[in-house]
Amino acid sequence: MSDLLPLLTQQLFNGLSLGAIYALIAIGYTMVYGIIGLINFAHGEIYMIGAYTGLVTLSAIGLGSGLPLPMMVLAMLVVAAAVTAVYGYAVEKIAYAPLRSSPRLVPLISAIGMSIFLQNWVATGQGARDMAVPALITGSIDFTLGTSNFTVTAPYSRIMIIIVTVVAMVGLWMFIKYSRTGQASRACAQDIHMANLLGINTDRIISFTFMIGAMLAAVGGVLIALAIGKLNPFIGFMAGIKAFTAAVLGGIGSIPGAMLGGILLGLAETFAAAFISSQYKDIVAFLLLVFILLFRPTGLLGKPEVEKV
Amino acid sequence: MNLKLRIIPAALALGALSLATAAQGNTLKIGIPQPMTGPNTQYGDQIQAGALTAIDALNEKGGIKGMKIEPLLIDDGCEPKQSVPAANRVVNSGARFAVAHACSGTTVPAVNVYEQEGIVAITPGATSPLVTDTIKPHYFFRTIGRDDQQGPFAADYIAQQLKPKKVAILHDKQTYGSGVATQVQKSLQKDGVNVALFEGINVGDSDYSAVISKLKALGPDLIYFGGYHPELGLLLRQAREQGLKTQFMGPEGVANKDLLAIAGPAVDHLLVTLPADFTKRKGNEHILEDFKKYKRSPDGAFTITSYAAVQVLADSINAVGPDADKVADYMHSHTFKTAIGDVDYDAKGDLKHFEFAVFRWDANGNMTQIQP
Repeated sequence: MSDLLPLLTQQLFNGLSLGAIYALIAIGYTMVYGIIGLINFAHGEIYMIGAYTGLVTLSAIGLGSGLPLPMMVLAMLVVAAAVTAVYGYAVEKIAYAPLRSSPRLVPLISAIGMSIFLQNWVATGQGARDMAVPALITGSIDFTLGTSNFTVTAPYSRIMIIIVTVVAMVGLWMFIKYSRTGQASRACAQDIHMANLLGINTDRIISFTFMIGAMLAAVGGVLIALAIGKLNPFIGFMAGIKAFTAAVLGGIGSIPGAMLGGILLGLAETFAAAFISSQYKDIVAFLLLVFILLFRPTGLLGKPEVEKV
Repeated sequence: MNLKLRIIPAALALGALSLATAAQGNTLKIGIPQPMTGPNTQYGDQIQAGALTAIDALNEKGGIKGMKIEPLLIDDGCEPKQSVPAANRVVNSGARFAVAHACSGTTVPAVNVYEQEGIVAITPGATSPLVTDTIKPHYFFRTIGRDDQQGPFAADYIAQQLKPKKVAILHDKQTYGSGVATQVQKSLQKDGVNVALFEGINVGDSDYSAVISKLKALGPDLIYFGGYHPELGLLLRQAREQGLKTQFMGPEGVANKDLLAIAGPAVDHLLVTLPADFTKRKGNEHILEDFKKYKRSPDGAFTITSYAAVQVLADSINAVGPDADKVADYMHSHTFKTAIGDVDYDAKGDLKHFEFAVFRWDANGNMTQIQP
């Protein structure tokens, strides 16, 4: 039994770092839904493109260059964020903007098509095989708790994921709360037609939303690429589904909801794998989603949809 | 007027068809469905290297029965979903022979297609017993052993040489991975070894830290993984990250160079069961020269088995002609001398004997045979 506390701590750490990634990607889903009511199925692919861009940047800089490690990682993050912002903007303009007045289903199909296109776009450009990312961030914090032999290991790469996610979340929250663009975003999320009538450039806000979501996903992509070390053009698919689930769990349309949903989903998966069986971890995660939606159909922090007359 | 307009395209179509059949008469088509995309492309590369080298060597000597061999490369992505479409493409191409599929999950559904169409197909890589046990085919064969040989072979090595007190077995829940893992579990339990954990992980997941931490708490002496190298690579890498230093072991589906790319130095001391190293077999020297001549690598679990598959097909067609039924009968009743040794088939197309061996990896991905 003395092993239980360290094991719990270890799994808690595992769950948090997994949840942090889900949260970063889920933000993109939730922000876009909050503004234009569309589930951007191509968002998982944006995350994957961010990861690939990070790898390409790393190859361009070269491992043997004299740059210190924080600079290299920062360069990867900045380049990936910039490139995916462009992708996010382009995807919106190509696949969604022309369909803004169409029935809900049409942009959804367009999103799925965009997702498939982007997967194969990267597969054609970079090859459909797995690509290895060199292990830049090695080392970990190890500690034991109490009398147990079990060493709790917190790899630096995972710690970085958690820290960067928290920083990004706080930064985004402050931006949305205190800046003019943030205020305009909140206005659009409340009622986009009214916001447009009141003089807010809603097209620009929509593009901005896509770009911010894409940049956060790119940050997640680069960090995961460094932590996991393996990339292929199809990682966006699974990550996208999980992140979408996290966004719905937390309340689609709510940014704190996306964070909460991401962390909850990561913890649920990890603890299910740890204490039940890895075979059932996805079942547990999705059962959790169903359960929460049964009692709170708009998600944990979601606001109930009020039909205004 | 209408009739004339319709006659012209019809005539053109008939003309094109007759041209096509005329062209067919001069080549012997061999379909080669294997993974050309996806995470397990390496096995497709190995099959191509082996089969195409054999085909090139034969074509240089004039082909089989005066016909040049025309290989048709078809992608199955190592995906069960693409299995029947790929097999259908073989059928539609007009090929009556195939060197087919690397992954068991892709082979099992396809066997039904080949059997129904009477296409003689040999798999150089699919090891699951289900491939031949499910419908006991007449037209489907292997040039590789089965997991109910590989599993007990691995288990015996574990029980006799490693003598662990506690073993954990993981698998990827797919046909091949869970099949070989179950075989190992059954054999280990028969040998009296304590299998403390038998669990499946998801293919395509990136983060296995939960199961790694669980293994850390369990403290086994050996972790056996049934599945392919993408998953084992991540398991090894994340195990090392978390300080889990247990010995890992896996079947031939994990043993290729990409494992080194993913896991890095964590592959050190990995044990793998593989087909015996046929590149070192006496009598295969001229085959190695062929590989050098056509600039392909003879390394890899399925390369020489693919070469041998083409040899078996060629020998049979030389004996009885390009009739698939006669070839199938011939294959069931004759012994072939091939790059993997003597090839003898039982009634459902399995090899009567096949050599597996245990190899150990070092930190640079080099393998040394340690048993037998």
